[in-house]
Amino acid sequence: MPMLVRKTLRDYRRALIGWTIGICVFTGLYTSFFPQMRENPDFYNQAALAKYPDSVRKLMGGLENISTGTGFLQAVVYQLFVPLLFIMCAVMLGNKAIAAPEEAGTLELTVTLPVDRKRLVLERFAALALGLLVVAVASLAVVVVLGSAVGLGVPFGRILAAHTGLYLLVLFFGTVALTVGAATGRKALAMSVAGGYAVAGYVVNAMSADVEVMRWLNNLSPFHYYSEGNPLVNGLQVGDDLVLLAAAAVLALTAVLSFDRRDVGV
Amino acid sequence: MRRMTAVVETEGLTKFYGKRRGLEDLTLEIRPGEVFGYLGPNGAGKTTTIRLLLDVIRPTRGSVRVLGVDPREAGIRSRIGYLPGELALEGRERASEYLRFLAGVRGGVAKGRIELLAERLEADLSVKMGQLSKGNKQKVGLIQAFMHDPEFLILDEPTSGLDPLVQQEFLSMVREARTAGRTVLMSSHVLAEVEHVSDRVGIVRGGRLVAVEDVAALREKAVRRVELHFDAPVPEEAFRDLPGVRDLKVEGASVHCTIDGRPDALIKAAARFTVVHMVSAEPDLEEIFLTYYSEDVHHAHVGA
Repeated sequence: MPMLVRKTLRDYRRALIGWTIGICVFTGLYTSFFPQMRENPDFYNQAALAKYPDSVRKLMGGLENISTGTGFLQAVVYQLFVPLLFIMCAVMLGNKAIAAPEEAGTLELTVTLPVDRKRLVLERFAALALGLLVVAVASLAVVVVLGSAVGLGVPFGRILAAHTGLYLLVLFFGTVALTVGAATGRKALAMSVAGGYAVAGYVVNAMSADVEVMRWLNNLSPFHYYSEGNPLVNGLQVGDDLVLLAAAAVLALTAVLSFDRRDVGV
Repeated sequence: MRRMTAVVETEGLTKFYGKRRGLEDLTLEIRPGEVFGYLGPNGAGKTTTIRLLLDVIRPTRGSVRVLGVDPREAGIRSRIGYLPGELALEGRERASEYLRFLAGVRGGVAKGRIELLAERLEADLSVKMGQLSKGNKQKVGLIQAFMHDPEFLILDEPTSGLDPLVQQEFLSMVREARTAGRTVLMSSHVLAEVEHVSDRVGIVRGGRLVAVEDVAALREKAVRRVELHFDAPVPEEAFRDLPGVRDLKVEGASVHCTIDGRPDALIKAAARFTVVHMVSAEPDLEEIFLTYYSEDVHHAHVGA
């Protein structure tokens, strides 16, 4: 493994362990509620409908069929909370690539190493992708193992497909943070652009079914590509996944080129 | 004989941060094997110059070559040792691990070299970097700058935060580097810190290089106060109008004056009488240094 990738992963280690535990515990807790849900389908379906007003329910992805394994998994794991947590993790790690060390002043010595700036950004991006992959694989294992323990009845291939989409979604937002950081060197800006994009993207996607303008805007929402094909039901969505992957790649390239061009730490 | 490639060669090097001037029109050559002291008050443009040499920032205009190539060529940086002016080290990593990482990226260092330097500077490398004191951070910074025995050392305010004993050790490391044929650029805002190891000093102020002086020549030019005591009263005429002698005061058997540059004429004049005692103060380079500053301040006032 290239030295800078290894070093970056070592710097990520504590944060990665923390986020992996957090996301896995969250995923595991929610998945383990399934038996209760299955025992009282009518009650929980009714409760879900009654508890949230229509608009909120739409924001949460409809909450339909939450008593089936697939519907349940979609609602509690893949719809909102886990992506949200995982995106926060990705944005934080993305920020640690350039902007955070630049603001702390530690990047100064790094850019004076005999490493090309382009390679520095690329290796930090590779470390981000690998770090997020660790969290994705761990949380995938939790869903698969606990899911079969509680009898979700969702095939592994479908869970893998959904998790692939999830990974690419968070990789995209992590790369947004990395790229804004690489282009500007400003942590707060990178954080708010990535966070703002995530929130706006989610809302636009949730409302696009009803609002005409949103439907067009939704083409710009990563959540559109994440959720439209419903991989938990239909399996791997190669086209959508490629859109997310390509977007992350274009952003990473932008990061490489813009960081190569500017002054560091001014 | 072919001229050796300059270690640093800049021409019209200029850096603006937006509208603010960081450095303007710097033309400077640093020769192989010399120790170059780069002096100026805080904010004068020293760090800007250094960061331009290392490609941390890019020039607004002008050209810069380091070790014969454009600093954008990342490869040359393995031949450079750099101590940043504001060294930031943080995290839970131990200093020794971080040094090993830096050494690895630069292509390795001689075995035992890090430990030797740590011993000389009395640095504890087992401490986590986030918990290092200011002085210890500076030591770790010096170790990483010196450890791969680079051809060119760029040290930005290297003595800040070091106690006097460690400063002495550091200065002897610089001398050893020079003896080994290395080139050193070190910045400071105090002349006293660099004058004993530097061959030349450049003085920068307000983003401009105002003077480059040979330290030996500077010493020669320095004003020094001299007192001569004779066994009998001496005539004032014997000392009047001697070249380089100023503020002459003859009182009976003693002569007080200041001399600019060489004391030769005064000594020869005094030799005609019997000298019983002579006092000559160390030349005060700081005074010359301040003259450059005050001249510049003067210009600034005229300009305002």
